[in-house]
Amino acid sequence: MIQHLVDGILVGSILSLGAIGLTMAMHMLRFANFSHAELLSIGAYCALVFDGVFKAVYTPLGDVIGPLSLTWALSLAIVISMAITGGSAILIDRLVFARVRAKGGELSMVFASFGVAMIIRNVLGLTFGLKVQLYSQDIVFAMVLSRDPFLLVKPDQIFSLVAALIIMFAFHLVLSRTTFGYSLRAVAENPQLAQVSGINLNRMITLIWIIGGGLAAAAGVFYGLTNQINPVLGRDLLLPIFAATIVGGIGSIYGAALGGFLVGIASNLALLILPSGYSPAMPFLIILAVLIIRPTGLFGEERQ
Amino acid sequence: MKKKAKHLALAIGMVTGIASYGSAAMAQDCTTKVGAVLPTSVDWGKPIAATAQYVVDLVNEAGGVAGCKIEMVLRDSQVDPKVGVDAAKALVDLDGVQVLLGAVSSGVSMPILTSVTAPAGVMQMSCCSSSTAFTGLAKDGKTKGLWFRTFATSGVQAAVGAMVARDQGYKSIAIMYKNDDWGQDIGKLIAGDFEALGIKVTASVALNDGQASYRAEVTEALKGQPEALYMALYPKEGTAAVREWLSLGGTQNMIVANSLKSDEFRDNVGLKYLGKAIGTDTASPRSQSASAFVDQYTAHFGKAPSGPGLANSYDAAMIALLAMEAAGKGADGAKVASMVSKVTDSSGTPVTADVAGFKKAKEVLAGGGSVFYQGATGNVRFDGNGDVSAPAVTWGFSDAGIKELSFISLTDVDAFIASMK
Repeated sequence: MIQHLVDGILVGSILSLGAIGLTMAMHMLRFANFSHAELLSIGAYCALVFDGVFKAVYTPLGDVIGPLSLTWALSLAIVISMAITGGSAILIDRLVFARVRAKGGELSMVFASFGVAMIIRNVLGLTFGLKVQLYSQDIVFAMVLSRDPFLLVKPDQIFSLVAALIIMFAFHLVLSRTTFGYSLRAVAENPQLAQVSGINLNRMITLIWIIGGGLAAAAGVFYGLTNQINPVLGRDLLLPIFAATIVGGIGSIYGAALGGFLVGIASNLALLILPSGYSPAMPFLIILAVLIIRPTGLFGEERQ
Repeated sequence: MKKKAKHLALAIGMVTGIASYGSAAMAQDCTTKVGAVLPTSVDWGKPIAATAQYVVDLVNEAGGVAGCKIEMVLRDSQVDPKVGVDAAKALVDLDGVQVLLGAVSSGVSMPILTSVTAPAGVMQMSCCSSSTAFTGLAKDGKTKGLWFRTFATSGVQAAVGAMVARDQGYKSIAIMYKNDDWGQDIGKLIAGDFEALGIKVTASVALNDGQASYRAEVTEALKGQPEALYMALYPKEGTAAVREWLSLGGTQNMIVANSLKSDEFRDNVGLKYLGKAIGTDTASPRSQSASAFVDQYTAHFGKAPSGPGLANSYDAAMIALLAMEAAGKGADGAKVASMVSKVTDSSGTPVTADVAGFKKAKEVLAGGGSVFYQGATGNVRFDGNGDVSAPAVTWGFSDAGIKELSFISLTDVDAFIASMK
């Protein structure tokens, strides 16, 4: 029971990072971006490439940090991967979404995002192969946190959780303490009014993609670190991330963060009562339950 | 004038066309397509497809089938039922194939059989699907006699897995199986076998494809603190689950099904953790025709056939093409399927599994006789449900790849299965 709860929180942190970016893009650009989860894959592979590059350039970077399987090279690669993934998100917006946005409606955007997701997934598959890849072949053994109740946690998972929380906290400070944060929230509230007040909408959209892409990249790397990397990683995480977004309420950044944890915990606790074969249905059930009981999600506002 | 010339050319074309019909040169004039749906995008799937293509090349070298060259249209299944069904549908509807080779996974073969080949009357011959669900389907008459496989059912492998557990003296064991037709089948079978041998099954956990994390499932399997772990998983989720299992302090006493016979799995988990892992697989009998296949394969591909399903893929393709030869030109799937028994007839003329053997089979069949195919997996005999039985091996992981640990003959396998009932 406790073990499932803790596991849920650990998985949840990854979902939260993904959901924050998704909820922002969904709210401000007014469309369900089904390609968002592919940014996690881009991030994970990007870090894999740079991890290799750094190790090759300067061997001591290949040393692991403390009890983790994480190397110095990989931690540097995370930062670069966040930047590149943010860049890719902008590139995709310029190439596809901006053009569709200018001409088509919300539904066209949704279909475009399906297409983009497929392209990214297959390009990654063609480039890196469909095989499973890992940042480190070594198995880091879990630590026994307590004997009664029996609680096992892997160091990498704790790192991922702490790093995710730090990233989220930093983002919270940006949102609440900076002009940029206010502008962001203003655009979320009412894009037209925000523009009248002198906020450059296009610039904000660019920034949203950078942040969304960066957070997704971090989530992708953390996922790769605690599980494995493969080209369909994004597709596998798509549904839980959407569930997290919907639970939190579309547009609510804090809701998305909380939603990630809730979905992670719910999926893990579900195994206590459901056979494991049904676990992929959990995110669907959560989405259904939220839409029936509270369609706006925990923190969402009704949209006029 | 121009028009006249065109007519003339057409007439000449027609005359020569008719003239060549029935001549010896016609083998080059027509092409018969056979379909193949195999997972070419995964490391263990590529050689299976290459082996099938190799058989097609050999048969073409022997003069083709029923006077026509054979072209194998290969499509990737990506080990995904949806992709596999799409691929099979395209092969049947667009390429008009009457014979389909594939798929590898039971979870892919099953929807292809039920929604594509059986409704369309196309013969399906799988190299590697082992689920006993096919046997049930065949018994109900739903396969319409169009289904064959050259791979022994999961029953054999489950029994050998249980035998390993007994020989290792494990008292309790957890089972993790892939949540598809094959995995559910073998998971259920082996749980029954363990119980029959008095080994306690502490947990039986289904693993789905593409889960974000297998943590919860592994925790579930660890709960009863089993002495050993049985896995019927594929390398992708197998890697994730085993790494999780080991890092959470799970035992290294593992028994694994043939699906984990993969270098990718060994490398990603690490050989140092797999020292106590024992694998099971069905095997080729130690017969002359089987070793002839190994020699021939090694000579052609430059390495010995070590992956799963290679000998089976060879036999699947060869028997399918022999049956097409027996059925004659333009035969439909049902006709070809009905001829399978004619080319695997134990009272027929024995033929070897190579170019010379195929040529000989052509002569015998042309003379109205039946042939007894001596294949890479031995003297293949299908029962009424399109199933074959087989001897088994146990194997382990090593630096050089997969090493064989022991060989269990068909008689021993059958005796052991009978002893548990």
